[in-house]
Amino acid sequence: MAELKDLVRQWLESGRVDLFLGYKEVAGHPLPYAFSRDNLEEVAELMVSPARYSLEKLAANILKARPGLRIGLLARDCTRRAVNVLTIYNQVEPGQVELLDLSCCPSRPQVSCSALTPPEVGEVKRALGLDNRLTPEQFEAIPAPERLGRWLYEFQKCLKCYGCRDICPVCFCRECSLEHGELVEPRDLPPEVPMFHWVRAVHMAGRCIDCGLCEEACPVDIPLRLLYRLTNRIVRELFGYDTGLTLTRPPFSVLGVGPAEPREAAGGKGR
Amino acid sequence: MYKLVPSICSYCGTGCGVLFEVLDHRILGTLPLKTHPVNEGRLCLKGWSLHEYVESDMRLTGPYLRINGRLHQVTWERAIGFAARRLTEIVDRYGPDSVGVLASAKISNEENYLLQKFARAVVGTNNVDHCARL
Ligand code: SF4
Ligand code: SF4
Ligand code: SF4
Ligand code: SF4
Repeated sequence: MAELKDLVRQWLESGRVDLFLGYKEVAGHPLPYAFSRDNLEEVAELMVSPARYSLEKLAANILKARPGLRIGLLARDCTRRAVNVLTIYNQVEPGQVELLDLSCCPSRPQVSCSALTPPEVGEVKRALGLDNRLTPEQFEAIPAPERLGRWLYEFQKCLKCYGCRDICPVCFCRECSLEHGELVEPRDLPPEVPMFHWVRAVHMAGRCIDCGLCEEACPVDIPLRLLYRLTNRIVRELFGYDTGLTLTRPPFSVLGVGPAEPREAAGGKGR
Repeated sequence: MYKLVPSICSYCGTGCGVLFEVLDHRILGTLPLKTHPVNEGRLCLKGWSLHEYVESDMRLTGPYLRINGRLHQVTWERAIGFAARRLTEIVDRYGPDSVGVLASAKISNEENYLLQKFARAVVGTNNVDHCARL
């Protein structure tokens, strides 16, 4: 932790970054906190929060208003994957964000993440829905005719809070299909089952970096992480594409029939 | 320049914890406070959209008075003076129970306390209800 603080101080003092987004305890809560040259003494209070916030999404929002800034991020593995996707989709430019890696999965230090400490699942959900802890393989062990019914049970609980989209580090579209009146009827609750969730699942192909923040934000515990894991397993099997691991563009960013040749993004930045 | 400000959702009485992304005194977005005991990192649609009304151009920032059928922005002094005068006239003419007070989930406990005190001690009625039951 001491080295981490020294590095952050160094980054700020040397001007390598203008802002550093990490965590600090504020009002009894571990909160994302912006450290800068103006508050260098506060770097002593930098902490690693078990509660995860999408620091990369906060950075992308800041950069939209202040494109000239350079922002450092305390980065978990999912942060790095998300920044790769944001770079591919031109939401951040290479060089605008710098990551200070905090090796995470499996957790070091402990973090609250559904991949490591999945939520408990009650009786009704086990009988009718899907256990959020299922891996894609365990999911496929469920007899095929039962699977759709279980998804439908999960989807009809949806409150249409849009939390899954709003918290998602890689959901940034100016016009979101989920708010498009002709795709999703504005007054329907739950939103059309299963269309609402399928639309989002399709958008997450080659885009979702499996951070699980959507699932953590879902007030009705829909196993969204599993849904997008299943989607991206297809992407991996058909196109050999691992979302977020590199700066290679996803196979869907090129029009045409069948699998496209992946293209290398300019200025690929490795680890 | 940039900070995250913890707060409480002002839309309903549940009181979910939120976090505002504030850049140069403007709210860019709202996030659920992940460690808040009430909502544990979740929000409803309203909570997620708090920044939209704070930053909305259509937000009322002062009192309005309907004069000759049209709304006019007036000073607080004039608005409160008008309300006080009309309330007194109504109470004098029809009695205290002709008035009802609707309290709100969007204001604090203390403000709600003052509101019922106003209804009971100043107006003289027990007609106090709450927006959550409308
Ligand atoms: S796991 Fe959820 S929040 Fe994370 S990238 Fe995928 S869809 Fe977005
Ligand atoms: S759900 Fe789809 S359209 Fe909406 S922001 Fe996410 S990727 Fe964009
Ligand atoms: S977070 Fe859950 S309840 Fe909210 S819109 Fe997404 S799936 Fe529906
Ligand atoms: S987020 Fe929704 S449930 Fe929570 S306090 Fe606000 S309005 Fe109420």
